[in-house]
Amino acid sequence: MVRHVLELILVPFLALIIGLFLLGLARKVIARIHWRYGPPLLQPVIDIIRLFSQKSVSHGKIFDLGVLISLIGSFLVILFLPFGVFTPLAGSGGLLVILYVMLFAPIGIALSGGEGANPNISIGISRKLILSLSYEIPFLFILLSVMTYYHTISIVGAVNSQQTGGWALFSWPLVLPGVAYFMILPAMLGLRPFDMATAPQEISSGPQTEYGGKYLALVTIEHGLAIFIGIGLFVNLFLGGGNLWGSSVNSFLNTGWGVLISPVIFFLKMLIVFLLGLFIHAVFPRFRMEQAIKYLWRWPTLIAFVGLVIVLIVK
Amino acid sequence: MDRNQLRKWFEDPVKMGHKYSLGAVYFCTGCGIIEVPPVITARWDAERFGVVPVATPRQANLFLITGYVSVKTLRAIIRTYEQMPDPKYLVGFGSCPINGGMYWDSYNTIKHLDKYVPVDGWIAGCMPRPEAIFIAVTHLWTLIDKDMADGYKRYKKYYKQYRRNQEMVLPNIEWPPLYPID
Repeated sequence: MVRHVLELILVPFLALIIGLFLLGLARKVIARIHWRYGPPLLQPVIDIIRLFSQKSVSHGKIFDLGVLISLIGSFLVILFLPFGVFTPLAGSGGLLVILYVMLFAPIGIALSGGEGANPNISIGISRKLILSLSYEIPFLFILLSVMTYYHTISIVGAVNSQQTGGWALFSWPLVLPGVAYFMILPAMLGLRPFDMATAPQEISSGPQTEYGGKYLALVTIEHGLAIFIGIGLFVNLFLGGGNLWGSSVNSFLNTGWGVLISPVIFFLKMLIVFLLGLFIHAVFPRFRMEQAIKYLWRWPTLIAFVGLVIVLIVK
Repeated sequence: MDRNQLRKWFEDPVKMGHKYSLGAVYFCTGCGIIEVPPVITARWDAERFGVVPVATPRQANLFLITGYVSVKTLRAIIRTYEQMPDPKYLVGFGSCPINGGMYWDSYNTIKHLDKYVPVDGWIAGCMPRPEAIFIAVTHLWTLIDKDMADGYKRYKKYYKQYRRNQEMVLPNIEWPPLYPID
């Protein structure tokens, strides 16, 4: 019981720290790829301190509430996501719950932006929703193939199956869905070439146009959490969560040491996936909307669908 | 630069946050904007000091007027400045906003920008080198440290006079006063 309450407090807090760290790391790594020195790692924290101390303009009650809805939705998804051996609410929910609750964040931003009544916000939100329409289809195929392969809708069940049977990405029927997930990951995180929704040069940062002061600080935090969720789901479904390779090595995770070591393993896996995504982000230009839809509905969808068919044949 | 001194962060996090996180709106009014791309890209890299270009005035706290200010541009400058959240700092870049520069006898150019919006600092020169922006930023840090970068306070205190000056060159301002005028 005590452990459960501790997990409910600790996991969102850790996710917040990791999300902000990844945001800072992104800026530093991109700067190094550009042959710049780059800001300090804690620059997002400095920005958030500055933004919270600035005065901000509100445009109405829904404008305030929408930001909070998206932030709370993100925290809720994190509670349903296993983080190493920590599973705050993950035992009670499944992948379907995550699918539904993941919609809270964009809907909150859309509600809030509607109250902002800026044309740039409308364009940004419509781009964001069209983009999510494009990547939700391969995403659904991927989740279906994982659920079919492991005969469970519980994400904890999928992680536990990988503890004994090896990681999903390297068990051959799930290779194709894993590759497809990695292909839609930049679209889910809003990284280039899929950052049309928040394109600062075209539509002055889209949905964030009217956010200043504490609103922008909350949206920055929400962005960090969104990165944590997108990559965390990939690590849980395809890279075995907080597990190492092979059942003999994993036996020690069930002892007391697992509490300390498995979050670290989880974090290292997240770091590797995020860095791979950043390398694409740093060198690619931005897609146009129709190019993104064409790409997302062709290659990841095709690969995920073939993967689903293979899983159905094998099982 | 005292960004790494943890003691100062605990003593006054707000001031340190304002110093080392400057979201800049580069107002592209004239030739001065050509010095800004080298500043924010690989050659000089302003991001290492926390100076980042932002897309909208709502997210900014540093406003850089790069180049001459025509009467029409002044309207946009005032609106942008009033949309920025407090505390905000405004820096004039180049000799044109200071005293008109080479447009000193032009009929539709603003000669003294600080009559219409409060300016926290000037960068003199025609053109200033990109390094001058960094010198300006370090001066701005000193001013923030001593609470002397108080342009936004001056704007509120003397809004009546600023508004009068604005209405003299822009006869029909279509937005209401930002602060109540007596």
